[in-house]
Amino acid sequence: HFPPQPQNEYIELHTKRHGRRLDYEEKKRKREGRMPHIMAEKAKKLRGIRAKLYNKKRHAEKIQMKKTIKMHEEKKTKQKAEDRDSKYGNPNYLLERENQIRAKVLSNTIKQKRKEKAGKWDVPLPKVKGVSEAEVFKVVKSGKTKRKGWKRMVTKVTFVGDGFTRKPAKFERFIRPMGLRFKKANVTHPELKASFFLPILGVKKNPSSSMYTSLGVITKGTVIEVNISELGLVTSAGKVVWGKYAQVTNNPENDGCINAVLLV
Amino acid sequence: MAHVVKHITVVPTYKDFVDIVLSKTQRKTPTVIHKHYKISRIRDFYMRKVKFTQQTFHDKLSLIISEFPIVANLHPFYATLMNVLYNTDHYKLALGGINKARQLIDDCAKDHVKLLKYGDSLYRCKCLKRAALGRMVTIMKGQAKNLLYLEEIRQHINRLPSIDPNTRTLLITGFPNVGKSSFINKISRADVEVQPYAFTTKSLYVGHTDYKYLRWQVIDTPGILDHAIEERNSIEMQAVAALIHIRAVVLYIVDISEQCGHTLEEQLALYKNIKPSFSNRPIVIVINKIDVVKPDELPEDKSKVIEEFQAEGEPVLEMSTLTEDGVMNVKTEACEKLLAYRVNQKMKTNKVVGVANRLHVAMPKKRDNKERPPCIPAKIMKKKNAMEVDEPTRKLEKDIEQELGDDYILDLRKTWQLANNDDRYDTIPEIWQGKNVADFIDPDIMKKLEDLEKEEEARDKAHYYSMSESEEDEETQEMRKTARKIREKRKLITLESGEKRRVEKSRMPRPTKRSRSVAQLEADLGSMGVEIPTDADSHYVRAKTRSSSRPPLKKARDQSEAGRSRSQSRTPRDQSGLRDKKMVTKVKKIAKKAQKERNHMAKKGEGDRVILNMKPKHLFSGKRKSGKTDRR
Repeated sequence: HFPPQPQNEYIELHTKRHGRRLDYEEKKRKREGRMPHIMAEKAKKLRGIRAKLYNKKRHAEKIQMKKTIKMHEEKKTKQKAEDRDSKYGNPNYLLERENQIRAKVLSNTIKQKRKEKAGKWDVPLPKVKGVSEAEVFKVVKSGKTKRKGWKRMVTKVTFVGDGFTRKPAKFERFIRPMGLRFKKANVTHPELKASFFLPILGVKKNPSSSMYTSLGVITKGTVIEVNISELGLVTSAGKVVWGKYAQVTNNPENDGCINAVLLV
Repeated sequence: MAHVVKHITVVPTYKDFVDIVLSKTQRKTPTVIHKHYKISRIRDFYMRKVKFTQQTFHDKLSLIISEFPIVANLHPFYATLMNVLYNTDHYKLALGGINKARQLIDDCAKDHVKLLKYGDSLYRCKCLKRAALGRMVTIMKGQAKNLLYLEEIRQHINRLPSIDPNTRTLLITGFPNVGKSSFINKISRADVEVQPYAFTTKSLYVGHTDYKYLRWQVIDTPGILDHAIEERNSIEMQAVAALIHIRAVVLYIVDISEQCGHTLEEQLALYKNIKPSFSNRPIVIVINKIDVVKPDELPEDKSKVIEEFQAEGEPVLEMSTLTEDGVMNVKTEACEKLLAYRVNQKMKTNKVVGVANRLHVAMPKKRDNKERPPCIPAKIMKKKNAMEVDEPTRKLEKDIEQELGDDYILDLRKTWQLANNDDRYDTIPEIWQGKNVADFIDPDIMKKLEDLEKEEEARDKAHYYSMSESEEDEETQEMRKTARKIREKRKLITLESGEKRRVEKSRMPRPTKRSRSVAQLEADLGSMGVEIPTDADSHYVRAKTRSSSRPPLKKARDQSEAGRSRSQSRTPRDQSGLRDKKMVTKVKKIAKKAQKERNHMAKKGEGDRVILNMKPKHLFSGKRKSGKTDRR
């Protein structure tokens, strides 16, 4: 005769019928009491990448613990609130907001004037480090004896339009490899904080050089035009908005994708 | 369900999964790379990492997908059961999600490997690899919920009872609390929980029982209530699934005492409702709890319901699981019904026709009218009668032992039959008047001995034992002649070869008298003033020879020195050269100590120097980690 097979909730059933071991609670309590020692020993013994990961995890846990402790303690302690206005000696509840400090006003106006002078757009990345030609282009030797070095291969991510056809290989000066051609970008709406994967319509301006703009090279800070018909925005006149500008915020050749922020 | 679903590997949580794969990548791929290496080498390094991670993810996800059962391929009973328990749609979606994740990870790896080809610096390649691995991990993050769900399912599947839908089965149904679980507890070794509240049994339970040397499955279902199928909850649906898909004899249990909370009319109504779902199967209606209310004592209207049950055409049996009255009867009846049904089914199929044609039972033809019944010895008949009457044959020792408990003494002599029964417990002497009692067990033994001796003499005289040569025939005589010749020849050959091998060099003469002897030793030391005791045990005393010229001295056995009952002619090897007992024990101890080490290494002896594995892998491979390195 085979022994009866364990079925369904046999463990709980056994506990229900026969109860637990007599020292179950004690064992459990002691085991939990030992945990801090074990964790400390683990933290001491680990090495290498595992140690880093473990320490990171523990650090996060400790921060959480400290926060909860502080939260509990807030009820007990009383915080001494700063109830005097530092400059004028007025208490908090008598502070007047019109007393703006004159210096601050001045600096604000100066900054405004400067901006107008520069004619800068209001873009998320106003200043971008320029990219040199040596970085963007790689010399490709051609010719019978491979001495002619007039061809260049683009090493950054590019955008070529839909109807793009290459020039005949003999006359092609700039080679834009297919592997580095991208059609879509991850565009984030700054207010909605939502990201969409939208098709690129074209490269508007590359801040480093106009040559890059004409070639369609996309680097960090490039302004591109994206197709936002997916979002379903409508103008006040009732027309559907289907194209907007976005600025690239990452280095696409290092990440393998184009991340951009919509310019509203 | 363990026999249907093969072993399913544990599905880790999203965090563990990612940890496992990433740490595997870190351990199994090269870790060292420098800026000044050739760009092709750098690219290869990072491409390898991306591909390795992709492969590991792919393998692990494929394992999950392949191990979980495909609902469509299971027996319809299991398919229905899984649908009831886990909702097939949700299950399929979860597995589909895992499949999709696998595909996405493959695509991601492919893209990034393509991009890595254009990497021209270490930093760029490293960023691309980081982006690739990050993307893969994010894809897995989306599957976190699916992984949890699949792990729960896996745990639940492993605990489902293993029900074989094709074998002989008894299926027990009825309202909740009628006594289904009590019944299965009685006839099988299953231990199902029995409680007074309804829906104690929440899922299917399986027990096994024997009948007619065959193994029968008994399936206990949760109770079903009388409402439409759409309103049934998942617990009841399990019972319904079993009812519909398993071809078994159905035992519909009715509670006559109405303790379950439902009247007999309700039970009848439920029976009528579910009857169509097991239309062509054998059914047995069982009335339970007759110890509370006997069927004869029922009032008019209740008896009418019972009659209606009987009018259904199925056998109606009565039992009580509390007093075990009629339980075996029910089981027998149900099993018989199922057997008949199964045989019928088999007859209907085509397979039986081929066999039935060839089967023929031959009955021997009677040659005369004489009756020849089977011959049964009288004692067996008596035993058979006793078995039927069910009386004990005699009181067994076992019973007596159980009765007396601790007081019981095994007394083998109480059944002895002697001339005088009082002598039973007397002690039997072993030696009597200088003679062995065992030799005189037989009263005629002296006479028998004399007869035997006389016979021996007679045989001797008649040359019974000598082989007379004249009686042998020519062949044997020839054989003996040749055998004698062979033996002689062999002896000659050995002598000759011995002669050949001997090297006749000049030998040193042996002095007849030993130059050093014990007596001389004693004399010398005595002259110097040292007294040495010479007794036979001294280690420098020459051991007595065993030459045939000296017959061994027979010493009277003395009680000195336990263990010296053997001959004292030669010291045993392990004691030769040792002074005294203390030295002997010490030497033994040292020897054992040395042997212990060798035993630990599984060496045969001190000369065993075999190394099985000259280049163990763990000593010749591995990275230079923190154990070995103190500077980088």
